[in-house]
Amino acid sequence: MSVATASEVFDVIVVGAGPAGSTAALLCARAGLKVLLLERGEYPGAKNVSGAAFYGSAILNELIPNWWEQAPVERYICRRDIAFMSSTTSVALDFHCAAEGYTTPPYNGFIVLRPRFDRWLAAQAEAAGAFLLTSAVVDDVLRENGRVVGVRVRREQGEIRGKVVIACDGVNSFLAKKVGLQREFHAHELSLGVKEVLGLDPAIIEDRFRLSGDEGIAYEYLGAITEDVHGGAFLYTNRDSLSLGVIGQVSSLVERRKRPYELLERFKAHPAVAPLVRGAKLREYSAHLIPESGWTMKPTLYTDGMLVAGDAAGFCLAAGLYLEGMNYAMQSGLAAAETAIDACRRERYSARALSGYRKHLKQRNVSTDFRAYRHAPAFVNSARLQNLYPEVVASGMEQLFRVDGSAKRKILPLARQLMRQYQLKPGELLRDGYQVVRAYLW
Amino acid sequence: MHIAVCLKHVPDPSTVEVDPLTGLLAEDRVLYMLNPADESALELALRLRPANGTVTALSVGPIEADALLREALAAGVERAARVWDAELGPLKPALTSILLAATLRVIGLPDLVLCGGHSADRGSGTVPALLAEQLDWPAVTDVTRFEITEGRALAQRRLARGARAESEVQLPAVLGLDTERIRLRQASLPKLMQAQHAPIPLYSLEALDLSPQDLHFPAMTLHEVMPPRPRARIMFAPDATASAQERVAQILSAGIAGKSGQKVEGGTPEQQADAIIDFLRQHGFLEQRIAS
Ligand SMILES: Cc1cc2nc3c(=O)[nH]c(=O)nc-3n(C[C@H](O)[C@H](O)[C@H](O)COP(=O)(O)OP(=O)(O)OC[C@H]3O[C@@H](n4cnc5c(N)ncnc54)[C@H](O)[C@@H]3O)c2cc1C
Repeated sequence: MSVATASEVFDVIVVGAGPAGSTAALLCARAGLKVLLLERGEYPGAKNVSGAAFYGSAILNELIPNWWEQAPVERYICRRDIAFMSSTTSVALDFHCAAEGYTTPPYNGFIVLRPRFDRWLAAQAEAAGAFLLTSAVVDDVLRENGRVVGVRVRREQGEIRGKVVIACDGVNSFLAKKVGLQREFHAHELSLGVKEVLGLDPAIIEDRFRLSGDEGIAYEYLGAITEDVHGGAFLYTNRDSLSLGVIGQVSSLVERRKRPYELLERFKAHPAVAPLVRGAKLREYSAHLIPESGWTMKPTLYTDGMLVAGDAAGFCLAAGLYLEGMNYAMQSGLAAAETAIDACRRERYSARALSGYRKHLKQRNVSTDFRAYRHAPAFVNSARLQNLYPEVVASGMEQLFRVDGSAKRKILPLARQLMRQYQLKPGELLRDGYQVVRAYLW
Repeated sequence: MHIAVCLKHVPDPSTVEVDPLTGLLAEDRVLYMLNPADESALELALRLRPANGTVTALSVGPIEADALLREALAAGVERAARVWDAELGPLKPALTSILLAATLRVIGLPDLVLCGGHSADRGSGTVPALLAEQLDWPAVTDVTRFEITEGRALAQRRLARGARAESEVQLPAVLGLDTERIRLRQASLPKLMQAQHAPIPLYSLEALDLSPQDLHFPAMTLHEVMPPRPRARIMFAPDATASAQERVAQILSAGIAGKSGQKVEGGTPEQQADAIIDFLRQHGFLEQRIAS
């Protein structure tokens, strides 16, 4: 904790105390820099959507060894379940892993509740010496000769100066737009997530999901759950509650005139989901945007005196099998911090001096991952993958397993019949097959 | 003029949830906030403060109460103090007022104490009067508007059923406010930063020179707060021996026609009184006496 006044110049001003901002502030403060961490919420996490699967355990472990022993985590993830759905059927891939690093430290992933987790993480930045100020909405950047030299907080005498500003203000970053680093997003590049936390007795959770102790499971769903809206759904087990939600591409929600909460209700009523949530009672409800177009919508990430990290920079991998934002937020936050530390050491804050950010992002595998999966979002959001294939798979299995006295069909003739039924063309199938391979395999 | 304002932290109603599993209040999820009536009192104190005056914010409460004292510092009070001791059990109005009075004596008696009239959680509304009693000062409660001139407070009070009264007291005095909600001014950024880590002096029982016996307050014990209970009503029922047509007519007339008076005549005054009481009891206007 440090004492500071508004008249001094900070080395680094971090805007937004989400996973990106708090890790950036933590690292900068540890390097001995004077750091101001500004958050608009009454406390960090107050504005964050509540439940998440956090796959950044190893990253955080480097900063805070055995962090899970002191942090508010719900359960570690030892199982993941990916389900393809039609309106009546679900076919799931159940991944159960007891390998080293999954069920043992540092654990591959944790389910966390964001309001608590974000608050804890920001407190770690504070403990490292960052000055955390809540109820502080940043509404402009200060500029001198085209250079960013600070920010303005929406309060009297709200101007405050810093040598480097790191914008970690989340999706649809106001700051990045303000300095012209980010364009307005198109509706097809954004998804809306609506989410609920449902209270449920831990004993029931363990029974129902076949978990013991601190084990947890993360479900991802594709297909009819979202009707003809592009998106997916998820369900995570917390300690004494479930986090679940649906995610829909904003443009297709608008086009199909669907309300997100209708989708959520449908999801909860699906025959494969209803038994999982039976008896659970609503605790929280919230909605939030997700940047979904990956690499193609990546804004320019730095300018004179300012860096952009986390969701603000579009570093959220929302591509079918993956819904990972917190881990990339932290990694990009660390890369931004490393860049700012370099800049302060050399006392140079121009865009050129900050261009090392690209190198740091690469070292932390952020840009490499986003380049690798750059084809995934467009394809994942295609109608065929979103709705058609899951349904074909589900209804194919339904026919394969149906025993009604008629002759059993082998898989190939069944596949032919399905292709006819769903009007799939071999060319399309091949092309999509190639897309899957290109999106996920190399 | 020196003004002291008493602030209380209360659960933010938007965060108060009953855990659906246990039926108990989910205490780890509750966030605290400044009691709305106290927020109004604080803002009024700041507006009232003359150029050479001061405002002191006081709160009896655990460490969480520091957050609202910081809020008060950021908004511009000169001084803040928190009163707490590990010895203290649940706070009752009588206890709170003893602690507040003792603290004011230690840090210096003000000319005026402003309290929010009711807290959002307990809302007994008795602290202002009890505090005045402890200080041996006059108190005016349920104040909707007031003015300070030449060492006197002229206060308008809200009485029951919309009646109002105007009272004047000599300062020093305690006012319990029942104004409309007045929002606290927004702190400037420099003040907010300054207040963030400002040390807040803590007064323990020892610092206040109080012993646990001083806090014993046997005069009144609150046993239970009961929700209002609707009075039992006797529903009009048509005479079962009458014909269907007559009964319908009776119902349609809502019993008006059937309501015939009964005169209490003759007998001693005691007998007459008993007859009236019986009548009232029969018709549900008086509670049935519980057999002891
Ligand atoms: C429904 C849903 C489910 C998700 N599930 C997962 C999941 O399971 N796993 C996962 O890894 N990711 C998930 N994500 C993505 C993840 O939430 C984000 O990628 C991640 O939070 C990004 O972190 P960040 O620090 O960049 O931004 P945020 O967490 O959004 O933090 C930004 C912070 O900046 C503050 N802020 C914004 N503007 C201002 C301003 N002007 N002034 C001051 N402060 C400001 C905000 O209050 C906020 O605290 C999900 C997202 C949604 C919507």
